[in-house]
Amino acid sequence: MTEPASRTPSQDGPGSGTPAPAFAHASEAEMSRILDYYGVRWRYEPDVFPILWNVRGEVLESFSPDFYLPDLELYLELTTLRQKLVRKKNRKLRRLRELYPDVRVKLFYARDFRQLMLKYGKVSLADTLSGTPGQVTPHRSADDMLAGLPPSTASLPAIGVAVSVPPLAAPPLAAPLRRRVRHRDPRTTIHHSTAEA
Amino acid sequence: MPADLHADVAEVLVAEEAIQARVTELGRQISDDYRGRNLTLVSVLKGSLPFMADLMRAIDVPVRIDLMEVSSYGGNTTESSGLVRILKDLSASIDGQEVLLVEDIIDTGLTLNYLLRYLRGKNPRTLRICTLLDKPARRLVDIPVDYTGFTIEDRFVVGYGLDYGELYRNLRFVGVLRPEIYSEQG
Repeated sequence: MTEPASRTPSQDGPGSGTPAPAFAHASEAEMSRILDYYGVRWRYEPDVFPILWNVRGEVLESFSPDFYLPDLELYLELTTLRQKLVRKKNRKLRRLRELYPDVRVKLFYARDFRQLMLKYGKVSLADTLSGTPGQVTPHRSADDMLAGLPPSTASLPAIGVAVSVPPLAAPPLAAPLRRRVRHRDPRTTIHHSTAEA
Repeated sequence: MPADLHADVAEVLVAEEAIQARVTELGRQISDDYRGRNLTLVSVLKGSLPFMADLMRAIDVPVRIDLMEVSSYGGNTTESSGLVRILKDLSASIDGQEVLLVEDIIDTGLTLNYLLRYLRGKNPRTLRICTLLDKPARRLVDIPVDYTGFTIEDRFVVGYGLDYGELYRNLRFVGVLRPEIYSEQG
């Protein structure tokens, strides 16, 4: 197992003083607040699990669950996106469980998240934070969405103006190496001939 | 405020008769397990109130009762702190007592996990859990449950103490609301 050179932003409980990470989806930010509320320590995407290699042993596909809850020894993955992406995530999760049977991962679907919002009396947030509308964009942060704020009009282009939108949160190539990578010897696993995009 | 609570219900998940029969069974089982011992039932407000009231009368060994209330995420009263709080604490010591925590429903287990940590700090001799409903599909915190009334599927339920927007607690069954109710009140 390779230890990380450094960790991604992490949160070790409310009041820890650790800055909140930049969440990729507003539902993740809301989940972090729920965990904080109940005093459950969490870390955001701290580990990367390679799940597919080529014949040279190079990693073709990885899975990085959204949260790790160290006290519960549990990974938590939120899936509030559309069905096609859910199927892909289910496949990756199955693969992860095959390769890392000692790793406990809980998948939270859009329905689970919606019911959680119902339970906490935040039904209006359920639709706002689920699926595509809940995705963080260059113009709207997770906190903006939780606060019900619209995209910043100041940073939006005028209608009719051609723009080139940069890829969302494109990480530098070295970014995954900053996280802890859980390696498994690919020689002991079945190689897939093609990787899903 | 809905004019007719029953009209808002799309489906009865656990009927009144089934609840009463199961509560009687649980009461008998708990009585057998705690015979000759001093039992304290701790109920968590507000949802477990009807269950507690029926369960304690189905138990035929001497019991003491106590009530607790814990803030819930999203509740207006706790927005300032951002942390779960004990809104109503136990009224008597449970040091050395045999305690049975009575819950209405366990889903994520987050509230229960917090409560157990809190109650263990009060040094009960034993601390067990009894829940009317268990929704294991959404469990985050694995907590062994000693007495379970019904294991239910992953649906948002109301009735027999369980609320949506503080309503529907007085339904005598456990049911599922019509979907439009959520959008109307959301």
